[in-house]
Amino acid sequence: MVNYFFDCSSRLRGWLFLVVGCIFSAQSVTAQLDSTQQLKAVTVTGNVASDASRITPSQTVRGGDFKKLSAYNIADALRNFSGVNIKDYGGIGGLKTVSVRSLGANHTGVQYDGVPVNDMQNGQIDLGKISLDNVESITLFNGQPGEICQPAQSFASASILVINSLAPRLDSLKPTKIKIGFTTGSFGLVHPTVQWQQRLNSRWAMRFTNHFQQAHGRYSYKVKGDGSDTLATRTNAFVKTLQQDLAFFYQKNDSTRFTLRTNYHHSDRGLPGAVVFYNPYTNQHLWNRDFFSQASCDHRWSRFRFLLHGKYTHNYTRYLDPDYLNSEGKLDQRYKQQQFYTTASIAWQARKWLELAYSSDFSLSTLSTSMYGFAYPKRFTYLHAASTRIQLNRVQIQCTLLNTHIHETVKLGDAASDRTIWSPTILATYQPFISDDLLLRIFYKDIFRAPTFNDLYYARSGNRSLQPEWAKQYNIGITWRKDFLNALDFIQFTTDVYYNVVKDKIIAVPNKDLFSWTMLNLGQVDIRGIDVTAKAQVRAFGKTKAITTVNYTFQEALDVTDRLSSVYLDQIPYTPKHSMALNAGLDHQKWGIYLNQTYSSYRYYLSENLPEHYVPGFFVTDLSGQYRFKLARNTISTSLEINNLFGTDYAFIRSFPMPGRSYRFSIQISI
Amino acid sequence: MKSFKLKTLLYAFAFISFFTACRDDKTDPEPQPQPVAERKGLYVLSEGLFNANNSSLSYYNYENKELVDDQFKLQNDRGLGDTANDIAVYGSKMYIVVNVSSTVEVADAKTAKSIKQIDFKDNGVGRQPRYIVFDKNKAYISSYDGTVAVMDTASLQIEKYIKVGRNPEQMAISNGKLYVANSGGLDYPNYDNTVSVIDLATETEIKKIEVVMNPRIVAADSYGDVYVISTGNYGDVKSSMAIINSSTNEVKNQAAFSGGSMAINGDLAYITASGGKIKVYNVKTETLEKENFIADGTKISTVYGVTVDSITGEVFVTDAKNYVTKGEVTCFDPTGTKKYSIQTGINPNKVVFVNK
Repeated sequence: MVNYFFDCSSRLRGWLFLVVGCIFSAQSVTAQLDSTQQLKAVTVTGNVASDASRITPSQTVRGGDFKKLSAYNIADALRNFSGVNIKDYGGIGGLKTVSVRSLGANHTGVQYDGVPVNDMQNGQIDLGKISLDNVESITLFNGQPGEICQPAQSFASASILVINSLAPRLDSLKPTKIKIGFTTGSFGLVHPTVQWQQRLNSRWAMRFTNHFQQAHGRYSYKVKGDGSDTLATRTNAFVKTLQQDLAFFYQKNDSTRFTLRTNYHHSDRGLPGAVVFYNPYTNQHLWNRDFFSQASCDHRWSRFRFLLHGKYTHNYTRYLDPDYLNSEGKLDQRYKQQQFYTTASIAWQARKWLELAYSSDFSLSTLSTSMYGFAYPKRFTYLHAASTRIQLNRVQIQCTLLNTHIHETVKLGDAASDRTIWSPTILATYQPFISDDLLLRIFYKDIFRAPTFNDLYYARSGNRSLQPEWAKQYNIGITWRKDFLNALDFIQFTTDVYYNVVKDKIIAVPNKDLFSWTMLNLGQVDIRGIDVTAKAQVRAFGKTKAITTVNYTFQEALDVTDRLSSVYLDQIPYTPKHSMALNAGLDHQKWGIYLNQTYSSYRYYLSENLPEHYVPGFFVTDLSGQYRFKLARNTISTSLEINNLFGTDYAFIRSFPMPGRSYRFSIQISI
Repeated sequence: MKSFKLKTLLYAFAFISFFTACRDDKTDPEPQPQPVAERKGLYVLSEGLFNANNSSLSYYNYENKELVDDQFKLQNDRGLGDTANDIAVYGSKMYIVVNVSSTVEVADAKTAKSIKQIDFKDNGVGRQPRYIVFDKNKAYISSYDGTVAVMDTASLQIEKYIKVGRNPEQMAISNGKLYVANSGGLDYPNYDNTVSVIDLATETEIKKIEVVMNPRIVAADSYGDVYVISTGNYGDVKSSMAIINSSTNEVKNQAAFSGGSMAINGDLAYITASGGKIKVYNVKTETLEKENFIADGTKISTVYGVTVDSITGEVFVTDAKNYVTKGEVTCFDPTGTKKYSIQTGINPNKVVFVNK
């Protein structure tokens, strides 16, 4: 503990030094600029969801909209997406995962700046950990991304969350951009950020982001069922995070781009745990030291495009329960995950109507822990994907065939056997009229998720003969958008109907000797759902702009594992049948006011749909306001968010209560 | 990354909660030794799931065949809490040991109306109580923090904590002594391998008897023997049963034997076994009498606990099903023929009886 604080304070000093340094250099640079000079924007963004991606159901949220959605992290930003089921364990440091279309969080892939983010140990990415400070856009694709020139891994999950960070838009007239932000509010939150973008020469640019977050995380909540009538306080919920990100960008005209990015994430959190009746105390701790460095190269030549990515990830986790009743008097576990990842893709626009692409990935992942008798697994993953995109008149067809080969070695015992799997995906759109307002689409994807290291090798419960968990998806949808020249700017409507089947679902079941659990491929889920999105923008009263988005999701995810079991045809746990989100906002010149409303119908926390397993539904309302103004040529943006305006008492996960009304204030200066 | 921790805990506690399928009682000092007593009904304690605060107490009324899902909650307007592990009736009171909530709930045996909730925390940290046994108006409660608490059953005050081995589990009383299985279950793979002997006159530990590692199940017969089943280490050390002579405090026999829960009634010990079976062991002859007590082919998917009614000789087998759905208790007559089944909460582990 002492060590940690020492460590942290020295980092803090470094950070302060940097802030001061930035302000200094920024002022000197801006002073030289003529205010009348117009900035020429040079777009260096990668594959942000465009209209081309309408081939697959996708939803995007952009950086400017985070405040409108009262989003503080990636998971918050996804609340308004249809088909998405968030598991939020509450509080600032709480785990947040996303299950798309009831397939389970392990079937959601995450890609950050073109490169996959992996967790071989659990297979789930904690989206609460990714800060929004650098994020320019977040897109969720069902099936796979719309573009076919992608790393093979982009085709390797049932849905993929594509996060793109802000790329510098600088030129010789404005070679430096500095953004300083400060957020504070409930839970003792203190969150300063600095982002420094610097043009180095005509081809090179740099971006550095420093993000620090601290909060005690305490909030009061009502315990239901223990006979108490007072409010309890959620404790041991503190967070302390430092994240530093340094990226270099190279661009030679539009044909060659290179980026090199290094990120360090350092966090220390208390784990408040489940609310246990009569025994609320916990003192568990989690430390993360995550580092990654990635390089990407994108080169276009004639009708070819080449993509190269390489990444090294090193994640260290320490979990401590100082009250564990063993002879040591604590449970102290350390995990170290490493991954080397490389990918190469080539795409060829063979004909005007035909694009072909091939990509090949290799990754090596290792996990080591302080646990007794650990297997020390090493996984070699080889992925090959061949894709084609055909544009015939009003029909577009995209096909991908993915080949996965997994080989594992272990130091102790037997490794899981090698696997080679072929996974096909077919997507198609049809445009019935000359105007592309209306588009019909259809897709089929047959994919799997490999067992995680925990599934296979966890002490005693791991099962090395596990097979992959399969997810088949069938989707049919319609998307319609109409732009107008009158007061109604545009109106957009999208609906998709889908049928998914999860087979050989990996679940924990007790072993035959009663005392230990084991992981088995036991479980089948039948999922039927509808996703609806409607969006409209109205321009009224001169400069006032109103925008409304409504999302609705219906999901029926039934357990069809065993006809004789009591849970046959019951809705799987934590899956609301209906969920809805509404976002409405008014922008008037410097002002903006936004309302975000989310609704989830009731759920069951266990597989038996019995009244005693009922988790009530909830409506949560967030209200936010923004005010932007110029001060000495610098743009200052302020916002105030009131989250859970009506203090709704709710929880995503039973025994993990969410906070009541809370406030967040932030100010950002762009220099 | 919290998910790893949740998973870890889930496994750890899943593992712990399977230690629980055992009981002893019934053997030695029956506080009301009138075999003429008539049963009014029975209670079934269900653990529920770790971190779900859904332990429950089903009540089955023999007279009108009515079943109440959670008599404790009905009476007291609050739940038992998290992972109730043991239940016993002593005198007019009923005692429920709630492991994760770290409480012992004392209630009126006939109504389940709460009398007192006893907090088992040491400086705010739960001691994690596991089992309870009684002798001469004293209750002895084992806790994972390596203690056995001594509680007066009249004042309901804890008088003393006796230090024993690591992570004690079940206990039994024989010859004025308390035998405590020190499992060391939270110390995988370095389990404890001792049974603490506590002299009840002085309430001090007088000996630690060595047995096969990871002992958890303890029961005493009427011949002065104490049976201790150890689980071993799930690897090279297999489960084993030790028979301790309580006069000499020596192990007189230790042999490979598997079983998850044990109830002794007279000369017969009923022991849960894998494959939906109940083994019958004769404590007089010290031989296995039957591989399976269930004679009529009744299927129990996951045999979790076994209790014998000392008055009627009926054997109650609890079924945890798939551990996440509602369980069941099946009543068998002494010949192993099914009489009836009742539905319970999740992971039913023990049955107690209440007299008219």
